[in-house]
Amino acid sequence: MARPRVRRSAAAVLGALAGLAFAVPLLWAVTSSLRENEAMFRYISEPSWRTLLPSDVTLANYAALVTGDFGRAILNSIVVALATVVLGLVISAAAAFGLAAVRFRGQGVLFGLVVLSFLIPFDAIAIPLATLFRDWSLQNTYAGLILPGLGHGLAIFLLRQFFLAIPAELVEAARIDGLGWFGVFARIYLPLSRPALVGAGMTLFIFQWQAYVWPLLIGTDTAHQLGPIALANMRGQFTIDYGQLFAGSVVLTVIPLIVIMRYQRHFTQSISTTGLK
Amino acid sequence: MSGRERPGRARLRHRPAAVALAFLAPALAALLVLRLIPAAMAVVSSLRHTSLVTGETSFVGLENYLTLFGDPAFLQSVRVTLVFSLIVNPLQIAAALALAVLFTRRFAGVRFWRSLVILPIAVPPAVSAAIWSVAYRPDGLLNSVLAVLGIPEQPFLTSPAQALWCLIVLLSWIGVGYWMMFLIAGLQDIPASLYEAAAIDGASAWRRFVHVTLPLLRRPLAFVLVADTVSNFLVFAPVQMLTNGGPEGSTNVTMYDIFTRAYTVGDLNLAQAEVMLLVLVVLAVVAVQFRLLRAGD
Amino acid sequence: MRKHRRRTALTAAALLAGVVTALSACGSSGGSAPGTPGASGPATGTLRFVGPEEPKTFEPVIAGFEAENPGIQVEYTQVPFDQLNNVLQQRLAAKDSSIDVYTVDQPRLSALAARGFLVDLSDLREKVRQAVVPGQYEVNVFRDKMWAVPIWTSDQFLFYNAALLKKAGVTPPSRDPAQRWTWEQVAEAGKKAQEKAGAQWAVIPEQIEQFYQLQSLAESAGGGPGITGPDMLTPAITTDGWIKAMTWYHDLFANKLAPRGVGSFQTSPLFSEGKVAFFVGGPWDVGVFGAVKDLDWGIAPHPYFAGGKQVTPTGSWSWGINPASTQQAMARKFLEYASLDPEGNLLTTKNTTIIPSNKAAFDTYLPTLDALAGDKSKGVGEILTYDAGNTAVARPTSVGYIQFEEIMTKAFADIRNGADPRARLEKATGEIKTAWAQLR
Repeated sequence: MARPRVRRSAAAVLGALAGLAFAVPLLWAVTSSLRENEAMFRYISEPSWRTLLPSDVTLANYAALVTGDFGRAILNSIVVALATVVLGLVISAAAAFGLAAVRFRGQGVLFGLVVLSFLIPFDAIAIPLATLFRDWSLQNTYAGLILPGLGHGLAIFLLRQFFLAIPAELVEAARIDGLGWFGVFARIYLPLSRPALVGAGMTLFIFQWQAYVWPLLIGTDTAHQLGPIALANMRGQFTIDYGQLFAGSVVLTVIPLIVIMRYQRHFTQSISTTGLK
Repeated sequence: MSGRERPGRARLRHRPAAVALAFLAPALAALLVLRLIPAAMAVVSSLRHTSLVTGETSFVGLENYLTLFGDPAFLQSVRVTLVFSLIVNPLQIAAALALAVLFTRRFAGVRFWRSLVILPIAVPPAVSAAIWSVAYRPDGLLNSVLAVLGIPEQPFLTSPAQALWCLIVLLSWIGVGYWMMFLIAGLQDIPASLYEAAAIDGASAWRRFVHVTLPLLRRPLAFVLVADTVSNFLVFAPVQMLTNGGPEGSTNVTMYDIFTRAYTVGDLNLAQAEVMLLVLVVLAVVAVQFRLLRAGD
Repeated sequence: MRKHRRRTALTAAALLAGVVTALSACGSSGGSAPGTPGASGPATGTLRFVGPEEPKTFEPVIAGFEAENPGIQVEYTQVPFDQLNNVLQQRLAAKDSSIDVYTVDQPRLSALAARGFLVDLSDLREKVRQAVVPGQYEVNVFRDKMWAVPIWTSDQFLFYNAALLKKAGVTPPSRDPAQRWTWEQVAEAGKKAQEKAGAQWAVIPEQIEQFYQLQSLAESAGGGPGITGPDMLTPAITTDGWIKAMTWYHDLFANKLAPRGVGSFQTSPLFSEGKVAFFVGGPWDVGVFGAVKDLDWGIAPHPYFAGGKQVTPTGSWSWGINPASTQQAMARKFLEYASLDPEGNLLTTKNTTIIPSNKAAFDTYLPTLDALAGDKSKGVGEILTYDAGNTAVARPTSVGYIQFEEIMTKAFADIRNGADPRARLEKATGEIKTAWAQLR
């Protein structure tokens, strides 16, 4: 059986190459965050091992982060993103269940509404929405930051697509056994759709993790500031502190990386591996 | 989606609409308040004109729309957007599918490498822009790598012929791993027994892919196709940070044009009219996609 | 499938969009009556102040103000510079009362005032006229009223890399404003530094695609500010002077004297790394370059075209009051302290390198700037004083400035990347006319 082994190593080589290709630009950012500002762009014109590996490592850029508002902003971002993922998943999964598991008149219209909602560019409607939010006194509240992430048609659409794959026989059997609709949702659909839930969760997470124009638009004070804004605020009007910028970026990227790594295993655990199908 | 009724099922379906609505209610409320009502306000706004000199607002009907169709910058942005969409979507989906197939195999370090491919989606846009602007600089990283390979210096973002391609590469770096994630989820749902059966029938790897994988990946693929198309229509942050729509308007995609009008110039009415046109186009494209996907049912 | 043709989801969606539209036609209210002017509101409380600077920049002036005015606190919120104008515009248009005082980019003042986003401060005009350096009063006036108070101004200098010039056998430019170099001289000497001393670039203007920096080129070549007409709504960027200046600018990049593809504020690291012979930058660069180890540099007055006018960029930030603010009395006090009181104005420059607008503060500040980088920055004060009184030309005052600047930035970028200057400026003229037609 030499062939499978050859194939497996070929896949490993290809996989490693692909992973590296995607990671190299980030590696450069990590390296730069460990450099002194003066050396920031020194190695881009003449590539050498120094381009990607720092020679004189300094943690000064990271130390500078601790003194500013950055730490609190990261915490705020985590709170907002987590709340959005939890609430958003509950809302979206329930809606997707309503669209996929049950048949009823008018379903097409409601699904169309969901589709329409994600065709509308958020940045365009953020301006009128911000006016509404100010009228409702949602400025400088976590609610004001979390709510826009909850109306996420794309997450609903995603979950519906995956819910449609769950065989109707399974639901019928469960219903005949006396399981209520909520039971079907919580005990059959949710456990069988982990990869899709992880994907939808990532979608909700990223929407909030990258929130930038919205918090500025409703006028968020320093106590409720989010990570990307704290990062942008490091850029002075006349000069850019690249070292700090990259250090801040590394921190802002490491947290989602942890989330991705943590939920990786759910990709390989689904209907086919749970033995239900 | 089939209209066939099965005995026994009807019994389960007393008042299904009420049940479904109960599940749908929170999401519908959220979508209505957070997306559709502001969108409706935007429609109204697109029918008005606010003088930037006096600040007075008046109802002008479809005048903003007519203004747009007479504006060469808008017309160019439509052309750029169409070219961009025709290239970027097939490219990203093909790459995402290839990577998904690769990363559902078992090999050493698969999870780690897979995470690295997904990671760029989580990088703050300002950071991606900073990294790639340095890479694309004429005296930057990419040209120094090309020089080592004996390839002459390229202008990248400073050339009208290359800038759009540079953005496509950057956006694919960000997005391909993300779309791959959903295709992996879909691939995991395909029972291994089907592959085994096909293998016993003597089907080649390619035939197995075409006849087993693709049909069974239909729904996740539909999601990726629609969602990727939509998100590429709505992308503007890298354009804003790297090219400002240039050189010579070659990267002036419609969504960036809208952002400039709404935020930079502050002409919200005209911007909202442009949003409506964009949404109509996206709606049409998505409708066609749904129809094609359904025809394959 | 054909038999069971159902209403598809999407046609339904389109229908619904129409219904929602009709429903919410009453949702948005028009009408934008300007806020009531005048000093109203409580005497004590918390003022909210919005700007693009780091909080530590304004800590001294806020502390000074609070110490003089017990009972008033100032809460400062930073908005990232790249989004400041956008965000302010939207929030002010929505009558957001959570902003009392905000920073005003001086060339945008007319547009802001015209739209009713600023409180009329004309009663302070005489005081301001007498207190500030030349040019800094006028930039706050629009339609015979004064809408903001000046805080900072700026100037541009010619920085040079002394080591590269020495190696190339070039005598560095003098600090004496009377012996100001011409652009032709700078380009020639820079080229020599490229050929003989291995300089990567001959001359780089810091804000390489910005109107602030490039207006002075056209003005020096006799091209005018780019906007004319009784209402300042006629573009004039195809004059001989503009074409000459933009052709020179075009050639700078075509002949590889300056780099393409490097953004406006990404240019100073190139000078810091010793790759550039000449660099045109602002006072803030004195501090930046002064902090770089092993960089041998000097400073000289901003160049001009041979046979042309001596013109230098100027202008920076003013502060204004939001008409929707309910605390305008306190807001006025804060503005008076930060602009008219020399002590207050000086405190705004304590934690950053920028030029105070107040004359007394300006005079106190110059020695500090002179000493900032030791011997290297000596003489900056003299250049600054001379420029402010003789060569400074502000950006044009027009309600259409925002659109103008946006279109010009793109035109500059294209010319830099090789577009034909005349054709591109003609195209920009058309674009500006289209954009300004929308103003009415």
